[in-house]
Amino acid sequence: MVQLQRVSKIYPSGLTALTDISLRIDRGEFVFVVGPTGSGKSTLLKLLYRAELPTHGRVLVYGRDVGRLRAGTVAGLRRTLGVVFQDFKLLPQRTALENVAFALRVTGTPTSELIPRALQALDRVGLAHRREAVPAELSGGEQQRVSIARALVHDPPLLLADEPTGNLDPDSSWGIMQLLSRINLRGTTVIVTTHNKAIVDVLRQRVVQLADGRVARDQRQGLYAVPV
Amino acid sequence: MLSRSSAFRQFLREGEASFRRNGLMTVAAVTTVTVALLTVGFAIAGGLNLSHLAATLNTQVEIVAFLRDGMRPAEVTRTQTAIAEITGVAAVHFVSRAEALARLERRLGASPAFADLAKHNPLPDSFDVRVRDARLTGAVAGALQGQPGVEDVTYAAQVVDRLVAVTRVMRLMALLLTVALSAVAVIVVTNTLRLTVIARWREIEIMELVGATRWFIRWPFLIEGMLQGLVAAVAAGTVLLLLYALAAARLRTGLPFLPMVPAIDLAAPLLIAMIGCGVALGAAGSFVAVRRFLST
Ligand SMILES: Nc1ncnc2c1ncn2[C@@H]1O[C@H](COP(=O)(O)OP(=O)(O)O)[C@@H](O)[C@H]1O
Ligand SMILES: [Mg+2]
Repeated sequence: MVQLQRVSKIYPSGLTALTDISLRIDRGEFVFVVGPTGSGKSTLLKLLYRAELPTHGRVLVYGRDVGRLRAGTVAGLRRTLGVVFQDFKLLPQRTALENVAFALRVTGTPTSELIPRALQALDRVGLAHRREAVPAELSGGEQQRVSIARALVHDPPLLLADEPTGNLDPDSSWGIMQLLSRINLRGTTVIVTTHNKAIVDVLRQRVVQLADGRVARDQRQGLYAVPV
Repeated sequence: MLSRSSAFRQFLREGEASFRRNGLMTVAAVTTVTVALLTVGFAIAGGLNLSHLAATLNTQVEIVAFLRDGMRPAEVTRTQTAIAEITGVAAVHFVSRAEALARLERRLGASPAFADLAKHNPLPDSFDVRVRDARLTGAVAGALQGQPGVEDVTYAAQVVDRLVAVTRVMRLMALLLTVALSAVAVIVVTNTLRLTVIARWREIEIMELVGATRWFIRWPFLIEGMLQGLVAAVAAGTVLLLLYALAAARLRTGLPFLPMVPAIDLAAPLLIAMIGCGVALGAAGSFVAVRRFLST
């Protein structure tokens, strides 16, 4: 599903964010990417949805070399990926339903399908009853659910989440992680970067730990940190 | 097809909505483009008038070829045919010495001095030669000199040469001015539209993330830019034509010999050029403004 082959990323500033990363993530996996701030977690995800290009090595998503996509085909890749962020990235003047439908509308979905499909996605995150609320009327956890619904609306095989609980209180964080786990159980591959030790330690999923842009540990049913 | 046409209607709706939402900003943008287009329009109107003046003067440039006395009519006809065949000659008109005298009389008016002159008409037969293009005057004059029976050739050499030079310089200046002001207008549009783009950067960011194509993202901004250009062009065109009509009316009474393009004749080319320029400037400006925000 996702493969990184000896990938390095050096930003134009000269800063090396990732060094010689090789990683393979299979269909249906749930992967935590952990590591201190600045260790390269966000950069790793950015390479997958092609917000950044690798400096060396190859990044394969669904078997396609993402680094070699023509500019015109990037949009096509993005429609097959869901991406979720710490800051939700919702449009403040639009309702929950409109925010989800937005992703369909701007990708040329027929008008008649917008509402039913957006509603279905909202239903998957348990927020169908809040469809008319604008972001300011929703809690942080609810806003993150709306952004997850938007990420799911194209039924992507792969969901990327960059510190999705970074702005949330512990209860909401649990709710979001449980939602992501449920989405994973229904077949979607999920890659989550996080600092949330408690959740990682309870869920016991695969853990990829980055340190200074290198893979320091890649462990099945891992813990947030290696016990001392 | 259904989704495509609905997408287009949506572009229009969004362009229009944004036009209304960013009211003050839009007014500022349209005003600046209007001013830029006005200056471009003045350059165009000035340029058209210069061309008109040059064309008028060009057709008025005449050379007179004086013939020696005592030519037989057959010889005169042969020379006329030869002159007509010289490259650059638009028309040849034979002026008999009697006709030349009559012209002179018309110009000077009847006077004792003239009556005295008329007794022994000193004027020779001549040809009035009109050239197609003022720049050919020198060459045509030279060729005339060699024709059988032509004794002398006169033309306002310096006036013509100077006019040709002045027209060329003024045309070049008008062109440079137009190019420079168009560049300024694009920069202005880019900067004002960038405000619109910044106001919607979050939308653009999300559109990119969820897989909207670059053209889909661009279209609303392009439409908005082109709308602004269109409004500015119509405003500038109206102002310019009104001013021009006023100025033309003034000049016609004040300087009647100065040939000016009538406002009516100017309206169509000017409006077409300004609308074309305005829309193109608006599109170019928004294209540049959005490009910086597109990450792919
Ligand atoms: N666009 C960028 N330009 C230059 N350096 C960057 C950019 N994005 C991230 N970095 C740098 O790359 C390193 C890794 O950043 P990041 O991937 O955001 O780490 P993390 O998400 O683990 O905190 C950091 O040192 C960061 O400052
Ligand atoms: Mg990060």
